[in-house]
Amino acid sequence: MESIITLAALKVVGYGLGTCGPGIGIGLACYGCCVGTARQPELAGRLFTDFIIGAALAEALALIGFVLTFIF
Amino acid sequence: MSPLEMLTTPGENGMNLLDELRHSFDSQFVISFGGTGLTQYILWMLITATLTVVVVLVGARKDSLIPTNKFAHTIEFLYHNICGDMGTSAIGKGYQRHMTLIATFFFFILVSNFVGLIPGCKTPTGSLSVTWALSTVSFFYFNYQGIKARGGWGYIKSIAPAGLPVVMVPIIWFFELISLVLRWLTLAVRLYGNMFAGHMVLGIFSLMTYVFVAGAIQQMNLILGLPAIAWMALLIVMYALETLVAFLQAYVFAVLSASYVGLATSEH
Repeated sequence: MESIITLAALKVVGYGLGTCGPGIGIGLACYGCCVGTARQPELAGRLFTDFIIGAALAEALALIGFVLTFIF
Repeated sequence: MSPLEMLTTPGENGMNLLDELRHSFDSQFVISFGGTGLTQYILWMLITATLTVVVVLVGARKDSLIPTNKFAHTIEFLYHNICGDMGTSAIGKGYQRHMTLIATFFFFILVSNFVGLIPGCKTPTGSLSVTWALSTVSFFYFNYQGIKARGGWGYIKSIAPAGLPVVMVPIIWFFELISLVLRWLTLAVRLYGNMFAGHMVLGIFSLMTYVFVAGAIQQMNLILGLPAIAWMALLIVMYALETLVAFLQAYVFAVLSASYVGLATSEH
């Protein structure tokens, strides 16, 4: 029982560590999207689509971490 | 018994409240015949699919040149919006062929996410099997379209971006291949993770509200019930956030499917 609790806790900690990088990355992407939209509002739609694609690429890492908590 | 002890004390069936909440997210057969059956998620998926077809078809039937019907106009507005956002800016030329699938994804996921927000209903996208099926359809569709547009060998070559130095091509190609296959996983897990985690948070907040209200009633002590107000307020705020997430995840799934199709078919 003791070791199961430790493993579960480690999973959560590992997932938390795994989200740090993608969190910063998505934040930067959102920053770029906002600044770009403020400078050129007519490109808003295009910028938002590109932002979603970039965020999806960064988010992939966090999602892999989420899946690993199920696997192990 | 203090409110927080109620959370971890086992009930008659040996499960405490948190276990029961966790258990309610597991797939269980609601209708079973023989060894097989329908889990609650699949049942709600069938209901949602029917609902989507009815909503969109009624919207299309009532559609007219001068919009008079608010409901039909809403559906038309959504469809035009996704045609603009996902068609013209993510896929590009010749996007009309792909809009049937992309719009189906959008409306189906939108309706199923919103159905899950109604208390007592289950969201089909809260199950990994359903989102996995959706992402499989999307994955095979964009690969098929890519092979159709460029031919088999041309599609395999196009995985690495053009204009690289010759030495770098195999390495970059390998990494791009990994990221291509990971799209299959990420499309499914993003939708599932967002819906599952959101509903789990809502469940825990309502559980906390219940525990404090029940504790206050049991001990006839109003002061003890005060935290329930804060939990209830948090629950309402999270519910509003979940409504946003429900729309956003449908949008993200559709826009990513569209951009993958666009990446696979566009001329470089």
